[in-house]
Amino acid sequence: MDILTGFLDGSAASVLAAVSRYAAPLLALWIVVRCVKSMLRGRYEPETWAYLYLPGEVMVPLRHWECIIGRARSSDACIEHPTIDRMHACLIRDADGAWTAYGLGKGETQVNGRTVPDGGLPIEDADVLTLGDVPARFVDLTEEERSSLLRYRRRPGRVARPVSTLLLLSVYQLLLTLQQLVYNHDAGFETALAFAAICGAGWFYFIVLRASGQRGFEVELLAFFLSTVGMSVAASSVPTAMLRQILFLAAGIVLFLVLGLWLRDLTRLKATRLPALIAALVLLAANLLLARVTYGAQNWVQLGGFTFQPSEFVKVLYIYAGAATLDRLFVNRNLLFYIAFSAVCVGALALMGDFGTGLVFFVTFLVISYMRSGSFATVLLAVTAAALGVMLVLTVKPYILARFQTWGHVWDDVYNTGFQQVRSMSAAAAGGLFGFGAGNGWFVDIVAADTDLVFGVVCEELGLITGLSCVASVVALACFVVKNAASGRSSYFVIAAAGAVSMMMMQLALNVFGAMDILPFTGVTFPFVSRGGSSLISCWMLIAFVKGSDVRANASFAVKRPDKFSGGAGVADDAADAPTYDPRPRRRAPYRRPGPQA
Amino acid sequence: MKKITKRAISSLLLAALLAAGMGVYLYRLVVHGGEWASFYANDSVYSDGVLNRGTVLDRNGTLLAFAGDQVYGYAESAAVRTACLHVVGDVNGNIGTGALTAFRPQLIGYNLLTGTTGKGGDVKLTIDADLNVTAYNALAGRNGAVLVCNYRTGELLCMTSSISYDPNVGFNASDSAYEGVYINRAISASFVPGSVFKLVTLAAAIENIPDLYSQTFYCAGSVDVDGHTITCTAAHGTLTVEQALAHSCNCAFAQIALQLGGDVIRDYADAYGLTSSHSLNGIETAAGRVDDAGSDRENVAWEGIGQYNDLVVPYSLMRLVCAVANGGTVTEPTLLAGKSNGSERLMNAATANAISDMMSYNVEYNYGSSMFPGLQMHAKTGTAEFGDGTSHAWFAGFITNADAPYAFVVLVEHGGSGYATAAPIANTVLQKAVFG
Repeated sequence: MDILTGFLDGSAASVLAAVSRYAAPLLALWIVVRCVKSMLRGRYEPETWAYLYLPGEVMVPLRHWECIIGRARSSDACIEHPTIDRMHACLIRDADGAWTAYGLGKGETQVNGRTVPDGGLPIEDADVLTLGDVPARFVDLTEEERSSLLRYRRRPGRVARPVSTLLLLSVYQLLLTLQQLVYNHDAGFETALAFAAICGAGWFYFIVLRASGQRGFEVELLAFFLSTVGMSVAASSVPTAMLRQILFLAAGIVLFLVLGLWLRDLTRLKATRLPALIAALVLLAANLLLARVTYGAQNWVQLGGFTFQPSEFVKVLYIYAGAATLDRLFVNRNLLFYIAFSAVCVGALALMGDFGTGLVFFVTFLVISYMRSGSFATVLLAVTAAALGVMLVLTVKPYILARFQTWGHVWDDVYNTGFQQVRSMSAAAAGGLFGFGAGNGWFVDIVAADTDLVFGVVCEELGLITGLSCVASVVALACFVVKNAASGRSSYFVIAAAGAVSMMMMQLALNVFGAMDILPFTGVTFPFVSRGGSSLISCWMLIAFVKGSDVRANASFAVKRPDKFSGGAGVADDAADAPTYDPRPRRRAPYRRPGPQA
Repeated sequence: MKKITKRAISSLLLAALLAAGMGVYLYRLVVHGGEWASFYANDSVYSDGVLNRGTVLDRNGTLLAFAGDQVYGYAESAAVRTACLHVVGDVNGNIGTGALTAFRPQLIGYNLLTGTTGKGGDVKLTIDADLNVTAYNALAGRNGAVLVCNYRTGELLCMTSSISYDPNVGFNASDSAYEGVYINRAISASFVPGSVFKLVTLAAAIENIPDLYSQTFYCAGSVDVDGHTITCTAAHGTLTVEQALAHSCNCAFAQIALQLGGDVIRDYADAYGLTSSHSLNGIETAAGRVDDAGSDRENVAWEGIGQYNDLVVPYSLMRLVCAVANGGTVTEPTLLAGKSNGSERLMNAATANAISDMMSYNVEYNYGSSMFPGLQMHAKTGTAEFGDGTSHAWFAGFITNADAPYAFVVLVEHGGSGYATAAPIANTVLQKAVFG
């Protein structure tokens, strides 16, 4: 240790730190750009789970586990025929490979001549699905067929190799460590250890998952990058409590893996939605009963030596319980139940005085409920109800009203209500594009600088480039989720992933814009970057949902490989009946607009 | 599934809002970043609330103020410190319009790229410190202000305000003479203009009274307006408009004002920027005031003579004479060397030239050009009656010497006659400015 300090006190280290002050933000940008390129540049390559053969051997591939069949362009299998409704029927595959047919419209839907009742009918390989007057043969794929299809799908990691990105990230971590040791007089062994730990965690994670055949690492790399920035903020703020930060990070990664693996099984997910919902309500109730008031909000619970924010874990449960499979979306009762659940969550947060988190939940609710219902009316109704709720909160909680009054006028009261915001704006401007260097700022000593105002710390110490890179990381996750949605297996994964990224984006918006006086200051955390255990852990868990939506070949540990499913038509006798195929020409089959077949 | 996929785009809406918000932030950062970084809480540039970097220089490179780590100081010479106090300001920010406060972003070396992570910056002013000393000394302890500006380039060569103090010494706060000492009288205070305002009335008359030059005005030493007496300095007899301006005849200008009407005069004052605030490199100047006296003819007459409720800021008057000197277009004054602030046309060239000729005639016919040796002087005096029986002395105008296109305004509060008090000060300052 003495040798290290002796070396770092030397002028060589100072020069190196000064150079790295410019290098680090550029490296941060490079890391994010590599991840973004890798995530968004790949081609849209859906999976194929089964086929419908229309008369004349026109083949319609079923790309998802939940497929709507109908005349409408928005159907997953579009069949233009006068006797077929716009949304005629729906084929849903469960996680075990069993398919069920449901009738949706007024038109007739039959399986092997039997009319499909409200509860649906099982459909198997070689069954005939009659839609209106159109008979279609259903062909399920065997595990071997899926396996051969998989070979033609592009694997991620070609555009930007994850191992190079991870190397860059390690260099970035090294530079930040160096800067902390040179600039931050309180930083020492523990700080170096923390950076070593996050670096080691990244490599350990990568090697283990790569060894198990995973190829896509962009989401995790972004999370590791953001956590590294967060580690630097923690080191600047409380360099003596780094061990806790390492523990939180470790817990976050472990829970991320656990949740990700759990997401592989849709049957299990469907069965545990209700328990998750109950757990969320219990956590909120416990919070209301046990929490003490800190900075106006009553959201901290002390347990053993640790304090934690139950609402952070409710976020994960809320997404988990809020997402739903397609079959549930057709039943209005389910949506109403979800709205009631959301109202209880937001209401409980309002009671706690945690206005910011309440808002985050509300926006997530809007996204999820829109995705579930597709109805602007529902969303509009919710907004109206929420506006009334906000008025109520404003009248009940005067300190929140005060924050609204300060909004846009922070420079008029730099000693009191605008105290934090003007300082974060000043610090952010002072940092310029490259910042003063990690551990070299004054702003971190302001109350809540390392949490609610963390964008100011990042911009001051690591520069605007790093700050924007952090924002871009989260936005990139959102774009990735939307891109994935096109090939999503079940609407559960799509809704959960969209809900998770919406939650993170809303949090980010409230954090950055609150600190910079573009929105009222509500005091929520910047995903991964704000210092704090519960928040860090919940963010890691939220991105498990993003991993769950990534169906590129071998990309995600949270998604089961399509050839690893047993069941379906994978019985050797039936294989002879199944058409032999070369999948490439079939992918170009004119399924989008087959002509009338009658 | 495709339906759900399309709905997932709703979360992109959130991303778009986020991007828009970041756009707002970046825009504000570009526009206001300098102010934000100049905030006293930015410990990287302040030590215990006092600026710790930056240098203020005059146009010749003379050091006017500097700040360093735990040290700061002003010019070497006490005379320069005192004469340049208001333009330089003080490190504590008491003089809000001083360079040390107004140009903090430059002083702390702020730019978008490096924020304040780099070195402090130099602020080079257009002011000539020696000229300021000459002007301040010429005011001789009386309250007032002197402004000299190059009307071609906009460079402000001289801006001094009295009363002032040596910032190294301070002043006796209980001494009533120092009341308002932090105010830069040249830009932050307005005064009754008296006869210098006749330039505005004259401009309105040139453009609105077609037979102005064929009219004559009779002055018997006073004129009766609706039973009220408008007094004049003397019985001037029959006057042309040129002679009326040269004699600064109240009787004649009362008649002109009544022909124009109070609203027209006010509109001209507004159009010439006398009643609005201006930005001098971001320093907001005070606004003057001219009220339309409406149907009260006595007050309309006084309005046109520069009394009634008229108040003028010396800086705004200087802009007006700059425009007259420069063919009707004012090159906006600047305090920062090498920084131009654009220009604005206040009047057409014909009006400007007509006024210019008459201001030259004033000097030849009345004031006497021997009073301003070597200077091609165009000017107008003002002796503004103040409520307490004293008068503010004004002298405003410009010279057209080659290589010395200088406009000026001199104000001495309670200084008596503009001709006797303010004009010699202008001469002293301009002799120094032109001939060194």
